[in-house]
Amino acid sequence: MITIDSIHKRFGDVHAVNGVSFTAGNGCVTGLLGPNGAGKTTTLRMLYALMRPDSGRILVDDVDAVAHPQAAQARLGVLPDGFGLYPRLTAREHIRYYGELHGLSGQALDRRADELFELLDMQAIADRRTAGFSHGERTKVAIARALIHDPANVLFDEPTNGLDVMSTRAVREIIRRLRDQGRCVLFSSHVMQEVSALCDSIVVIASGHVVADGTPDELRELSGHANLEDAFVSLAGLRERTA
Amino acid sequence: MSGMGSPLLPARRRIRQAIVILRKELRDSFRDRRALFSIFFGAIFFPIVITLMMNRVADRARDAETLAIPVLGAENAPALIDWIRQQDGVTIVDAPAEPELAVRNKDVDVVVIIPKNFGERFSGSRPAPVRIVSDSSNSTAQPAVQRVRQLIAAYSGQIASLRLIARGVSPTIANPLQIQEIEVSSAQQRAAVVLSFIPLMLMIAAFTGGMQIATDSTAGERERGSLEPLLVNPVPRGVLVSGKWLAAAFAAMLSVALTAGLSVAQLQLVPLQDLGIRFQLGRNEVLGMLAAILPLCPLTAAVQTYIGTYARSFKEAQSYMGVLISVMMLPALLSSLYPIADRVWMYPVPVIGQYLLLTSYLGGRAPGILPFALSAGAAVALAIVFIQITTRLFRNERIIFAR
Repeated sequence: MITIDSIHKRFGDVHAVNGVSFTAGNGCVTGLLGPNGAGKTTTLRMLYALMRPDSGRILVDDVDAVAHPQAAQARLGVLPDGFGLYPRLTAREHIRYYGELHGLSGQALDRRADELFELLDMQAIADRRTAGFSHGERTKVAIARALIHDPANVLFDEPTNGLDVMSTRAVREIIRRLRDQGRCVLFSSHVMQEVSALCDSIVVIASGHVVADGTPDELRELSGHANLEDAFVSLAGLRERTA
Repeated sequence: MSGMGSPLLPARRRIRQAIVILRKELRDSFRDRRALFSIFFGAIFFPIVITLMMNRVADRARDAETLAIPVLGAENAPALIDWIRQQDGVTIVDAPAEPELAVRNKDVDVVVIIPKNFGERFSGSRPAPVRIVSDSSNSTAQPAVQRVRQLIAAYSGQIASLRLIARGVSPTIANPLQIQEIEVSSAQQRAAVVLSFIPLMLMIAAFTGGMQIATDSTAGERERGSLEPLLVNPVPRGVLVSGKWLAAAFAAMLSVALTAGLSVAQLQLVPLQDLGIRFQLGRNEVLGMLAAILPLCPLTAAVQTYIGTYARSFKEAQSYMGVLISVMMLPALLSSLYPIADRVWMYPVPVIGQYLLLTSYLGGRAPGILPFALSAGAAVALAIVFIQITTRLFRNERIIFAR
């Protein structure tokens, strides 16, 4: 469960996030939808405590992420916007590294790693060094290491960016399974199909503001468009620019 | 606010996290050819340098003993040539066609020219000319030139004595002074120069050993984009920096130990006594030198971790490292030009303190406890300061997100 309450973030003169508030519940997929530069990544970075909001409150399962960043991070599994791997380490070593940083060790860590290899269908690449992995394989490694500590809340920042069809389907399948396990899944995207296919709830962000928040049906109703993409364009105020 | 307990992790968990990071950085680096090269560079390169230099010194010493003297016009002074041939370790060889050019090009160290009028003037008891062609700027040729001069002067002295005796005069009248030379052979001096390279080599190893790890785990981590996901793990920034620092410090120490070990092992194979050096590097000297230099490693690693974090890119970090190594080598180079007297205040100064400790071991005397404590304490304290500044950088959003 994630609650964000009117957070602000300025970079010099740019008001990147201007009073964003929303809630992402357990057992459902919440989509953070917005055009490039809307403030999605900055919002998520404040949520996973790599940036400090200028004001506002962030709760991760009742833990104040601003006051206690590490306690909040312990409850989060995060796939950031950019996720570099270590080319000289194997997939398993990546996953064990993060697990050990979360305090896991011994058989518990091995068992959890094997579970993830099965969930992500990556047994074949588990003990290969990641240099030369395809983009899809790299994404799987990054997702596996983000989930090693069995977090109740999962954040994916544009997880399907640059992935081919099969890998995209695999990532969507993972997101559904994580939801079915009762986790709170929050992911950001600017791809309409993806959001409509996956989300139980959608938060539309534009220019640092939340412009709409609801189920896909509610958003269609709110905007008066039957097509979700049209709904998005109208809600995000993009019409003037695209027309 | 949230009703959660203190976010402070127990100290044991922090230490375990630092060890996890240390282990990962070392494992990663030991698979990196560039990191391995920077660790083993000194250990491979310096023993080779020592061998080459020492062999050269030894060859020179041997050369001076069995000296082949090129002589032009030997037929003009058969008696002189016969006399020289009878001396120990000297042979006469044909001179090159153009003696002055050959000496200038360092093809030969020295050429003796005996002009045609030698015999005529010699039998007339007038000073007979002998020319010695040498190049005083060629320092390696000096032992040979010296030897030739001594030989010819000795022959000249003998002939003078014989002529005086023939005229009924005691030769001692012509020698009012008796000069006794106590020679410090140039071979010994050059061997001492080789030994004086050891402190410099150990300094370089302390610097290069951890350089690649420190850069790769900071600037490299950010450039790969692996820093952001790493920082999402619940690890305090100070713990993160400490783990990376310890990995670089360990690599630097390993590099120093290997360099010292292999260089000393190499020196054992060189017959130092034959070169006139009484000093021998024993186990105590080696351990003492390691104790002097190892505390410098945490400091070099801390400075490198700071630079790697501050730099905008891997390349920028590397160019800063190049500047830093020159700054570090300055005291060592300066003190070889202008020998510095050791004063107590110098020991806490990083690099200078370590250099003084090392040179006093090479001078054959063990420094006291106080200089050791001062230099090690100051280096480690300064390292901790750098780690704290680096930790502050890691809390800066603009540093994390590559500016």
